[in-house]
Amino acid sequence: MNFYSFVEGPLLWTAFLIFIIGCVMRAVTFYSESRKKDKVIHEHFKWGYVLSTLGRWLLPMNVTVVKNPVYSVLTYTFHICLLAVPIFLAGHISLWEESVFAVSWPALPQNVADWMTLVFLGIAVFLLLRRIFSADIRLISTFSDYFLMVVTALPFLTGYFATHGTLNHISFLGNNMMLFHMLSGELMLILIPFTKLSHIILFFFSRASAAVEFGRRGYSI
Amino acid sequence: MNGEIIPRTIMEFLTPRLGARIKTWLSICAHCGMCADTCHFYLANNRDPKMIPSYKIRFINDMIKKYGGVDREYLQEIYKTVYYECNMCRRCTLYCPFGIDIAMMISLLRALLLSQGMAPQGLLAAINNYKESGNQMSISDEEWVETVQWIEEEMSEELVGLTVPIDKKGAKIMYTVNAREPKFYPQDMMEVAKIFYVAGEDYTYCSQPGWDDTNLAMFAGDVQTARTIVENVFKRADELGVEKVAVTECGHAFRAVKYEAPGWLGYTPKQEVVHSVELFHDYIRDGRIKLRHKVKEPTTVQDPCNVVRNGGLAEKNRRLAEMLSEDFRPMKLQGNYSYCCGGGGGAMPMGGEMKKYRLKSGKIKAEQIRETGAKIIFVPCHNCIDQIRDLDKEYNLGVKAIHFKEAIAELMVIPEHMKPKEQAEDDE
Repeated sequence: MNFYSFVEGPLLWTAFLIFIIGCVMRAVTFYSESRKKDKVIHEHFKWGYVLSTLGRWLLPMNVTVVKNPVYSVLTYTFHICLLAVPIFLAGHISLWEESVFAVSWPALPQNVADWMTLVFLGIAVFLLLRRIFSADIRLISTFSDYFLMVVTALPFLTGYFATHGTLNHISFLGNNMMLFHMLSGELMLILIPFTKLSHIILFFFSRASAAVEFGRRGYSI
Repeated sequence: MNGEIIPRTIMEFLTPRLGARIKTWLSICAHCGMCADTCHFYLANNRDPKMIPSYKIRFINDMIKKYGGVDREYLQEIYKTVYYECNMCRRCTLYCPFGIDIAMMISLLRALLLSQGMAPQGLLAAINNYKESGNQMSISDEEWVETVQWIEEEMSEELVGLTVPIDKKGAKIMYTVNAREPKFYPQDMMEVAKIFYVAGEDYTYCSQPGWDDTNLAMFAGDVQTARTIVENVFKRADELGVEKVAVTECGHAFRAVKYEAPGWLGYTPKQEVVHSVELFHDYIRDGRIKLRHKVKEPTTVQDPCNVVRNGGLAEKNRRLAEMLSEDFRPMKLQGNYSYCCGGGGGAMPMGGEMKKYRLKSGKIKAEQIRETGAKIIFVPCHNCIDQIRDLDKEYNLGVKAIHFKEAIAELMVIPEHMKPKEQAEDDE
């Protein structure tokens, strides 16, 4: 097995497994630890509080959207592209069709996926620049804030290059762009459970906790 | 405070207290900065990045990384941040996309400092008083009972048949006060005696510790003392067999007795806990108290963090103010999303060391009050009222801060049979 087949085979599945099992573990750990140390959220738990807060914040219907509309539009768009492009990209779906799962679902039109990728990358650059040049955000930023933004953006950048052959004239890059794309995607998947990217799952628990805390005081947030 | 810090003691304190929530928040905060301009300290200090809420809790991750290897100077830096730069009002939490509770982590840091012998003198003095006497002002049980009796004497001259019950078994409500009332503001107790009498409320005071509902120990993270205080309250309530425990117009006391007590005690007390704002609101709404007229001058209302945002009484607080006013002018941000006045989280009882910081951070609230053009502000909280009176002087607001009970006692209709003879004749 050469390196390429290793990356597109075993490594890919390992990355997916680490991502899935890791996220489940984060959720299970939160649940079991909170039963011992955060009893208040279990004693007062109501689905009403939780669904209402998730509705408000998964959809842009909350106080922060009103207060920071520009930032909110950018970050909601960022997350929509981040989730939609890899899942609904025709090139990815065809891999699922060929896989042992043999599953399929509708794809985004290629040009829409292209534009979403570019928009995503544009916002990623903006967020990085904001982190570097805003005195406020620079002060509160840590290494992982910069690093993980790069990690998140790389699969999109390399994916775009690979699809469009942008850098094919540089032979080393051109020959290996798909390899870089897969490696960067796998890196991101593996890092999700162990870094603040774990908010993909912990967002739900964190918001639910806050919603219960204020819900028991009589209002939903 | 001197003495070397033993890293092991820092970690032994922190580790068991890092619950699932705090660990999650520490690991997922995206440092997006959405909390920055929700904080009155940030806004009042020319948008100083150091005042960003998410920055204020950086110490926890940092100490974990250093395995507790920090020195006294470092703890001093934490002290400045957690005491001088945060009122634990929780406004930032409402705007955080993850709902991160910064105040809860500030509270953890305060508790850590206390475990290393560091806490504001003002709070330590109060904690000692609680331990010795059961109340923050070190009033003896005899003095307390004498005060209640004196109030009954005084007020029975004003209203015929008025009594101030103490240790009345089977009363519906046990009413508790802030120990500052018997000490400095007996008129608060006089006004409420009138209101309860006119409303026909079946209430009682208790003679033993438990009558002071304040809980300044909570602000220093002294959970043990905080628990003892609320334990006393519910012990008395059980002995007297009351249905409800009522709390005076005090914010943190309400929060402690109603929302924090179950956590400290490990069980939910039998009695329902109500705040004066709820009682007064319901008296007027239900016609148990009628007003001769409303306040004529323009009014506004303060939403104390621990009555409104953390007490859930936004609606009733505002409605009560409206029912009392001819010209009610809400602040631009009213209710759950209102700014903290700068006097919360122990800032008032900390005394002199905190004064310049709270006057500065109160600027945002001062501006909100000024914009309404109100001449009277209703303030159902002891810490808020002291702070707003200071803000009035500092920023020349020209506003008079009063508790609701002052206005109600002044404006309510006194039934004929309660009026003393001479006065009834004068009225005719």
